[in-house]
Amino acid sequence: MIAQYAGIAPKADMTLLQKLGEKLHGRSFLHVNSTRAGGGVAEILQRMLPLMQDLGIETRWEVIEGDAGFFDMTKKVHNALQGNPEHITEDMWRHHFEVNRRNAERLDLGADAVIIHDPQPAPLIEFRNGGKWIWRCHIDVSNPAQDVFEPLMKHCKKYDASVFSVAKFAKAMGHDEFIIAPSIDPLSEKNRELTREEIEEVLNRFQIPPDRPMVLQVSRFDRFKDPLGVIEAYRIVKKYNDCILVLAGSPATDDPEGEIVLNEVKQYVASDPDIYILLLPPFSDKEINALQRSATVVLQKSLKEGFGLTVSEVMWKGKPIIGGAVGGIPLQIVHGITGFLVHSVEGAAFRIRQFLNNPDMVKRMGERGREHVRANFLITRQTKDYLSVWYALEQGGKDMIELF
Amino acid sequence: MDRAVQPFEFRQYSSILKSTGKKAGTLRQLRDLIAAINDASLFHHVYQYFLKGHILEYTNDFAQWTGVTLEEGALSEQLSNIDPYAFRSISELRAALVAVIDIYLEKFPETREVLPGDEFFFNQTVSFIYPAGITARNLAEFLIGVKYIDASSLYYHFYEARVRLGGETDDFSRWFESALDKRKLAERMRSFDLFMHTIEGIREHIIALIEEEVRRDMYGSPGEGMKPGDGRGFPLPEKYVAGKGE
Repeated sequence: MIAQYAGIAPKADMTLLQKLGEKLHGRSFLHVNSTRAGGGVAEILQRMLPLMQDLGIETRWEVIEGDAGFFDMTKKVHNALQGNPEHITEDMWRHHFEVNRRNAERLDLGADAVIIHDPQPAPLIEFRNGGKWIWRCHIDVSNPAQDVFEPLMKHCKKYDASVFSVAKFAKAMGHDEFIIAPSIDPLSEKNRELTREEIEEVLNRFQIPPDRPMVLQVSRFDRFKDPLGVIEAYRIVKKYNDCILVLAGSPATDDPEGEIVLNEVKQYVASDPDIYILLLPPFSDKEINALQRSATVVLQKSLKEGFGLTVSEVMWKGKPIIGGAVGGIPLQIVHGITGFLVHSVEGAAFRIRQFLNNPDMVKRMGERGREHVRANFLITRQTKDYLSVWYALEQGGKDMIELF
Repeated sequence: MDRAVQPFEFRQYSSILKSTGKKAGTLRQLRDLIAAINDASLFHHVYQYFLKGHILEYTNDFAQWTGVTLEEGALSEQLSNIDPYAFRSISELRAALVAVIDIYLEKFPETREVLPGDEFFFNQTVSFIYPAGITARNLAEFLIGVKYIDASSLYYHFYEARVRLGGETDDFSRWFESALDKRKLAERMRSFDLFMHTIEGIREHIIALIEEEVRRDMYGSPGEGMKPGDGRGFPLPEKYVAGKGE
């Protein structure tokens, strides 16, 4: 499995992966999150698990279970951590803890290293059973609502270390805080090369005309992804250029708001025949791949973003990308080099028009974007980083570690 | 009998980023944190800047932030002009950075505050050093190694080594001198101006220098009017010219 990445991933990453694999051979690693499908976390775990296993590490992935009340509450927590005011009652926090307690009874939490992803399963730390425990925060917590952030931090501070996607998300937590960007898998169904026939089949299935310029955004139907702003930008562009707009997203089991936002979007679109709203079932990876490869311009016009992995997916395919200057997007888009960062609907519209009218610029930025992803945002790098954190924690806080 | 040459083992460098939890939103806060932050963080923001592969408009993270985010162009230039390899310790470097900011603050004491999210975030790294799996026993093998290794390996042997070895030399030059007895080559290697090149630029310079030296070893000194590396090669010594061999 790991050998398949030779020639794709940087040599230094491959060598260190092999080295860490030798050092950690036969030891156990556990990931815990709250959904097996939908969203970037589940997606990368599906691919990372076999990679770690192939290195000789006994790797498992457990998913916590919860009722509708639990996921309503954790969605509110998610929004509050991204800065939205939310009211979380004492009862809700108690229920949050209680659901985690029940999951701790059900799950085998024993491992040499445990990574708990995001706030939903954060209280599991209270039931730790040996090993190094790491809280992995995928959310933009640069400006959280303090009344929600603080109760959650009571659990998070008990971990041995935290991992954030971007330096500005890190908080003074009293333990080691590592900065690790998420990643994409170049060999997954979502990112592998597709044949012309495969792409055409997908476009035909969705009745998308292959011969018109396509503006695309792939994301959950979530207000923070600003689907209405994307439609506004498209309407400005339409005054100058012919194009169609495709908004595609999959629902996630831990996001009860998705349907509400989807209905808002449908209402806003009204009867424009050139806007295609695609509600894709989970695991529509090939379809997303085909859409990204067919697009003329791709947007990730988020207002808040944990990281925005779709940006790297698009750049890996050599396509021009326009992203909101939030969260991890500026790490992926070097403005004017690998794509454009925008701060408004008008900015997005202007950059769409630039791309639609400058094929040379599209090609140049697309090539640079692909190399930027190769160096920084492939799954081999992220796997190497997780194993490095685990190994570093076991070395007792050394700044320089020699592996021979 | 020839003495055995100590081989050069290329090592690979990789790091993970760690937050210190400290951030500066104004120039004054930046100054105070530079004065107080741990050595590892200062090392990261100054010496490890080259690993990021930036275009060389700045030479360290502090210069970049004051230039891009604070838009204090003159200060940014002054901070960029600080040569970290001119100091014998991190504390000397720290004093120089603070002194430059202090002089600027005396002239322009009104410092503005940046927007939330645009602060300077102080980080440090945990570094991993491991074999790249390439060993050189002579210059020709070394040349192949330099062409093959990752940029981070070059960083470790050529940039980081200057701090590790006390600022005077680097791993390559040291090996040329101690194992191959090539003092002049080591001197030429040490004379590269690190700030004027990206790591890939430095790789090209090293390759050109070693190719020239390998040719010299094979054929002797270049002839009159010929420059090393100009594509015309070097004249063969007489013993290799037909009819003039020994």
